[in-house]
Amino acid sequence: MTTIADTKSLAEYNAASQPSTTGRRFGTAVKYILLTALTVIWLIPMFAALVTSFRTMDDLTINGFWSMPQSLKFDNFVEAWNQARVSRYLLNSFIVTLPALFGMLFLSSLTAYALARFRFRFNLPIYFMYVAGTLLPFQILMLPVFRLTNALGLYNTYWALIFIQTAFQLGFCTFVLRNFMRTVPSEIFDAARVDGCNEFRIYWQIMLPLTLPSLAALATLEFTWVFNDYLWAIILISDDSLRPVTAGLAQLRGQYTTNWPVITAGALLATLPTILVFAFLQRYFIQGLTLGSNK
Amino acid sequence: MLKRFGFFGLMLLVAATALAIAPVIAQDDGTGPISYNSYASDPLPRAFDEGIVADWNAAHPDQPLQHSIIAHEDFKQALRAYLTAEPAPDVLSWFAGNRARFFIDRGLIMDFSETWDSAGFDDAYAPGFEALARVDEGYYFLPTSYYWWAIYYRPSVLEEVGVAAPIETWDDLLGACDAFDAAGKRAFAIGTRFRWPAAAWFDYLNMRINGPEFHTDLMLLKESYTDERVVAVFDHWQQLLDHNCFIDSPAAYDWQEAVDFMVRGDAGMYLMGGFITDQYPDELEDDLDFFRFPVINPDVPIGEDAPTDGYFIAANARNPQGAQDFLAYLGSQEVQQRALDELGRLPTRTDVDISGVSEATQKGIDLIQTADYVAQFYDRDTTPEMAEAGMDAFMAFWDDPSILNDLLAELDADRVRLAEEQAAE
Amino acid sequence: MTSIAQIQPQRARGGTRRHINWTPYLFIIVPLIVYFVWIIGPTLYTFYLSLTNWDGVSPNPSFVGLRNFERLFTDRTFHEALTNNLRWLVVFITIPTTGGLGMALVFNQEMRGGRWYKVSFYSPLVLSLSVIGLIWAWVYNPSLGLINSFLRGVGVADPPGWLGDRDLAIWCIIAAAVWRQVGYVMILYLAGLKNIDPTLTEAAIVDGASRWQLFRHVVLPLLAPVTTIVLVISMIDSLRAFDLVSIMTRGSQRTQVLANFMYIEAFNNYQMGYGAAIAVVLFSISMIFIGFYLWRVIKTELEY
Repeated sequence: MTTIADTKSLAEYNAASQPSTTGRRFGTAVKYILLTALTVIWLIPMFAALVTSFRTMDDLTINGFWSMPQSLKFDNFVEAWNQARVSRYLLNSFIVTLPALFGMLFLSSLTAYALARFRFRFNLPIYFMYVAGTLLPFQILMLPVFRLTNALGLYNTYWALIFIQTAFQLGFCTFVLRNFMRTVPSEIFDAARVDGCNEFRIYWQIMLPLTLPSLAALATLEFTWVFNDYLWAIILISDDSLRPVTAGLAQLRGQYTTNWPVITAGALLATLPTILVFAFLQRYFIQGLTLGSNK
Repeated sequence: MLKRFGFFGLMLLVAATALAIAPVIAQDDGTGPISYNSYASDPLPRAFDEGIVADWNAAHPDQPLQHSIIAHEDFKQALRAYLTAEPAPDVLSWFAGNRARFFIDRGLIMDFSETWDSAGFDDAYAPGFEALARVDEGYYFLPTSYYWWAIYYRPSVLEEVGVAAPIETWDDLLGACDAFDAAGKRAFAIGTRFRWPAAAWFDYLNMRINGPEFHTDLMLLKESYTDERVVAVFDHWQQLLDHNCFIDSPAAYDWQEAVDFMVRGDAGMYLMGGFITDQYPDELEDDLDFFRFPVINPDVPIGEDAPTDGYFIAANARNPQGAQDFLAYLGSQEVQQRALDELGRLPTRTDVDISGVSEATQKGIDLIQTADYVAQFYDRDTTPEMAEAGMDAFMAFWDDPSILNDLLAELDADRVRLAEEQAAE
Repeated sequence: MTSIAQIQPQRARGGTRRHINWTPYLFIIVPLIVYFVWIIGPTLYTFYLSLTNWDGVSPNPSFVGLRNFERLFTDRTFHEALTNNLRWLVVFITIPTTGGLGMALVFNQEMRGGRWYKVSFYSPLVLSLSVIGLIWAWVYNPSLGLINSFLRGVGVADPPGWLGDRDLAIWCIIAAAVWRQVGYVMILYLAGLKNIDPTLTEAAIVDGASRWQLFRHVVLPLLAPVTTIVLVISMIDSLRAFDLVSIMTRGSQRTQVLANFMYIEAFNNYQMGYGAAIAVVLFSISMIFIGFYLWRVIKTELEY
């Protein structure tokens, strides 16, 4: 575990190793110019989407992309929002994503804890199974899982998506958390054991808080993965009112094939929650790093 | 052990187990809403589809529809999942021909003969369409509309380039391509991202060169893809490519996107179904006309593609009665009249009033009625997997014509295998 | 693997000698059930399906032995898909990995506005692949897209067709995938850099190491566990590549990859058995990489 102060020392060293103040300033300026240029290039596709979403298709067809927009309009967003029922789809996405996120983190942290802290007969085989599972091409599961949800009466319900997302991400989460938990020094647990804590309390009250940075990072990644899943959404859901936003977006695509402004507007709307959540968890991520080290 | 693990832990475990062992959803009694899935994702068909659903819901508050529109290409892929689901969506839109037959043969589609009789469809539907609805003695597919394929063109653009419409011979067609090329344009727009627009060219070249009979046999896997008659089709196709007939990089575009080349005047023609008008800007519709695909071999009968669309009910439908009621409504004169008036889709019933149709629609009707043979379309006439292999091969040929012989050999290997599998069933 | 190897994992005390300690089993049992029902079971079922001929709707698959595999190895599309996956793999373990590491090293230093630069680079990561596919399809659009309208603007008479050009299409798709991947790798390395024990770097600094030596002999070895994860993820992602291909070309234009090939065979062509066989091959190839990784892991595990 580290603190912000620790990383500073490396950074300060980097700064100090520069030859002179003038040279450093010059170097810094070059660095910023290069970085800014690279960033601009990096953001061009999204910039293109953003600009497109505020224009009309006629404007684009007639004047081309690089012309000055004739007018910037919010209509495309309104149309995407109303026509594609983005609000409903977004709600569906949250209904699926949040329980799945909770489920996969809880279940995988249980396994990871057992794999990291106990020596038992099936420890390594189970670990290897989960690691292998992370590589599984999900296409291999499509048809069997579809039939399974049918057999369980879960087809065309949120539960189908929640379960498959939870289960499918278990491998990766277990893999990451197990490796992280193994880096936690054992002395902490010995102390707790002396205090008479049972294993679950050690897991719940000591290990999990220590694992928070990893959990936060995982949650961030998994949120975007699950939220952005498209394939399962179209395989396991047939009702329009249950459809998550990615599948809803596909309707927009089908509906506005040549109307790129509306498509990109819808795509941006669909992306907004993941951007917001990511920004929020990014802070949480750094916070978790510093808090975790104090315990 | 309990002490070691803790009571709290055990409680959470129990909760998680409860979550893991799935809650079985209570089955309902087969009444209530009717679920209806359709692929009408383009704007105009969508508005029409939503319109008829709204009307049904207004008239049947006790049996409302739960309507889901799925993007066209996704719908095609998801259909099997829908049909094998329990419960399946009640009513689904689909295509006539082998594409429907495939599911009917596997017992996934409900026999609605009772509704066929009680709704009086026998008297109302033209015999050709009655045949599309029936398998042996049962009725499974309700064909409700069809449309024609033709070469659509912009008279103003052809005039500008100096091409006279309609184009009636192969040489004139190639000449038109040259004229467009000389003018810095392309004769034909085409968007082959989903491949099937290329299949239309195969259909028409094959029917114009070898005649509908050979085409049908090829579709039914009875003729070989390595046959010299098939090679002749690709020879003609090659000529089109040599004369720069098509826009560049067609595979980068949906069929809808490619329409823009016509709208912008960069291309003059488009071999497309009548639904092209759904996509065409209203203000330019006066400048849009169509003609029959030119004759190549005058000795063979004229075949046309006229795909039929319709609906069927899943065998697993949750609400079979509601589904049949809705199907009867979909097949009614009222709905077909609306499809004709609003979308220009031709009716399958004989009692729809066609006196008020536009000149263009009348021309389309004539186009079909004067044909010697009416096919559905490549991916509806042949088996699903053959269609897939074939359309892949068309695209591969388009990209690199030099590998034609390899492509045809592979296609024929697929054909032989599929025919064997079919025979074994 | 150094940092993990250096730390002895905590073992359960007692119980292992005389009787079985059931505590770990209590921890693993529920996730394991979920995993078996939803992942392992279906996977095995797919293995079984790969030996059958099944259209996905008939009640029973018919057993055909290894015929699907025989057919597969003579299938030109299969070779095309395999080649493309390989291209994807090579690009993924080189460009995003080095690029992401470089970014992470730059942004690990305190710098003004560093946060905003970082956000810019990993923002593609939060977009769904379908959105990325849409955006890039628009960027690549040969007639109106951003690139070609720019090229025409600067006087290029005949700009490439990008996705419409068979020789370019797969590289266009991989480029879009790289665009997303770099930020991901950067995040992983940033997290790894933050976890580096500062006493180690300080010791190197005291010893008078140059920046390059510090990086090469201290930082990079300490990042080895992250590098392993990054490489494994890159391999996973390149073998599983599906969404972008499916959305941008549906596997046409010589852009077929195994995952999409399988999807098309199974869900478009009604050849579940054949599709399952592709999935099995894909899985087996994946196992080569995962096997290599597991072998390394096992080696370190056994060193205790």
